[in-house]
Amino acid sequence: MLRTNTKLRATIALIITTFCFLQVTAGNNWNVPADKKTKNSTFKFDANTVKDGESVYTKNCVSCHGNPTKGNSLKSLNPVPPDLSSAKTQELTDGELFYILNTGRVIMPSFNNVLSEEDRWKVIAYIRSFNKNYVQQVSTNDATKSQLVKADIDFNKNTNRLTITVKATEKTGSVLLKNDEIALFANRYFGRLQIGESQRTSADGVAVFDFPKDLPGDKDGNVKLVVKINDDTYGEILRLKTMQIGIPTDKPALNEKRAIWNVLAKAPYWIIILYTSGVLAFGCVLMYLLYSLNRLRKAGNN
Amino acid sequence: MATKSNTDKITTDLLRPIRLNKSFIIWMGFLGVSLVICLGAYGWQLKNGMVVTGLGDYVSWGMYISNFVFFVATSLIGMLISAVLGLSGQKWAAPLARIAEIIALAFAAVAGLVIISDMGRPERLLNVIIHARIQSPIVWDITVVSVYVLISALFLYIPLIPDLKICAEKLENLPPFARKIYKALSLNWNDTPEQKKIIKQTTRTIAIFIIPVALAIHTVTSWLFANTSRAGWDSTIYGPYFVTGAFVSGTAAVIIAMYFFRKNYKLHDYITDSHFDMIGKLLVLVSLVYLYFNLNEYMVPFYKMKESEAILLHDLFSGNHALLFWSVQMLGLVLPIILLLFKKMRKPQPMLLIGIMVLLGAWFKRLIIVVPTQEHPYLPIQNVPLNFKIYSPTLVETLISIAPFILVLMIITLLAKVIPIIPVHETIEHLEENK
Repeated sequence: MLRTNTKLRATIALIITTFCFLQVTAGNNWNVPADKKTKNSTFKFDANTVKDGESVYTKNCVSCHGNPTKGNSLKSLNPVPPDLSSAKTQELTDGELFYILNTGRVIMPSFNNVLSEEDRWKVIAYIRSFNKNYVQQVSTNDATKSQLVKADIDFNKNTNRLTITVKATEKTGSVLLKNDEIALFANRYFGRLQIGESQRTSADGVAVFDFPKDLPGDKDGNVKLVVKINDDTYGEILRLKTMQIGIPTDKPALNEKRAIWNVLAKAPYWIIILYTSGVLAFGCVLMYLLYSLNRLRKAGNN
Repeated sequence: MATKSNTDKITTDLLRPIRLNKSFIIWMGFLGVSLVICLGAYGWQLKNGMVVTGLGDYVSWGMYISNFVFFVATSLIGMLISAVLGLSGQKWAAPLARIAEIIALAFAAVAGLVIISDMGRPERLLNVIIHARIQSPIVWDITVVSVYVLISALFLYIPLIPDLKICAEKLENLPPFARKIYKALSLNWNDTPEQKKIIKQTTRTIAIFIIPVALAIHTVTSWLFANTSRAGWDSTIYGPYFVTGAFVSGTAAVIIAMYFFRKNYKLHDYITDSHFDMIGKLLVLVSLVYLYFNLNEYMVPFYKMKESEAILLHDLFSGNHALLFWSVQMLGLVLPIILLLFKKMRKPQPMLLIGIMVLLGAWFKRLIIVVPTQEHPYLPIQNVPLNFKIYSPTLVETLISIAPFILVLMIITLLAKVIPIIPVHETIEHLEENK
């Protein structure tokens, strides 16, 4: 009896240990590609970038990771989001942090298309501000190089396709941006709507996107497109272009018509009628009562 | 002449309490001191902000708004006793009409102040009017409560006019300025047939008009809750549910007032055991109606158990609020109904105890309506301290919530000191009619 119990306990202990071990390895292993590990910010982290990073962090990260050093991350999640001031996080290179931030995993979302590259680096600046021993390595890449890149967007009405050609104009001539990650978005009220999936540019620096036939534009059918390219040499490149390729849509704004939620001047008629008739009815009764009281006073004189 | 002496007796009996005496001064002094303590607590809240209360982001209404609902509710009794019973020819209630009206006026007038106690920045109160949007139930509420206070004041005043004349003439040892005020307010009352007719007409007009206004004030108060989609408040029967609940608390308030006026003002001949018997039956009636609405209000969502409602109902029936919920329903509603079915229980003393029980139940019922729903918002509560999740009022908050009760008692005491609380003229008229 005792024996079986010991055996059972040992088995349970083994299962638990294995499970914990798996959890820990799962928690640590982000499989960051070697070339991404060494990526660095093109700007130096200072008090301003830390401050900007804090505000980005407060909007996007604090709800799960909590405030660094406070240990108040959301414990109900699995895996528990680490406190980012912890040694385990600080051991990672900037490139690894940047990769984690870009890709996300399981319950951590990807911020690649949510935050600009600058904002993502600023968040890392903020996280690093909790590490006294941190020494920053600034990327040797020239941040201004991205300005040399041009994205030509061409729309084919018949096939409903967008062809994007990306090239940089160097002094030595045109350079095609090959095999770069490229994503297409349409601006909407809040944030951007990604069109299709991210692709890699071809050997000619070209990417082709199928454009949806039912995307609403403004009243003239204009859609604001955003092309985002990630290149190792030129960094993150954002190009904007407004094109008349959406369905013309002219819906009145929600606060244009009379409505419950609108301002007083745009109150619905039925409320105005009900409210004022109520107040008027009271006014009439009040006048009648005062008139009667006056009559009463006069009647006493006779 | 028997009639003459009878009339004189009625006049002396009913005017006797209108004089300054020691017990009045002691009572008012006690109320005054208590009020100063409570106002001190309010000063503390003004200085330090709402942080001195147990209120927070989730339970932002708590005791204050429960108190407001209770005050509006209790004020409805003027409409029930003076208007509904009066118009339907229930003559037994006539001597109680003025008591009911005084209670209605006092509670309605103070209700507006109660809501201010929930404002961290009361100096911004005017913004509610300056930037009013008539789409907002809060604006409707301010409108109807103000209208009700005015109408209640007139409803108290107009039938009082003949009595004011009697006061001016018959009261002895009255300072000259007070006699002048009585005279001015009695508007040349000479008991002429035309004046009698005018009084009768106007009283009737108000009695009819006050019914929709009173229904409106408590229906609109219920809409402050029901016009949101929060679990527990999102109900289509909230209007009548609140109105019927109001009759229960108001009737209890009148019973308590009747007991003390009868005892202290020695009005045993005017507020008789039969009045207690009748109002006891009235309390059973209104409580039964309210019980019916309670059954509807809880039974229907309980049967469907929609997720958000289910969380709330579990909390009420068997969770954190279960003790309070069941105490309120059983001690404040079911037990009084059963007790009052026995004639023995409809005597003044047991009625006083039952009245207090019902009134307390009615107050806590409002807390049960306001707090648990606010503790269960649709979005999950995460990463907050325990005192955000579970509401517990502080001492400061409790003192501030007591202040309106003191004010109401002061208004009732003062009014009962300057006007006869049983209509003199009407009682004499009634006696002459039945001769």
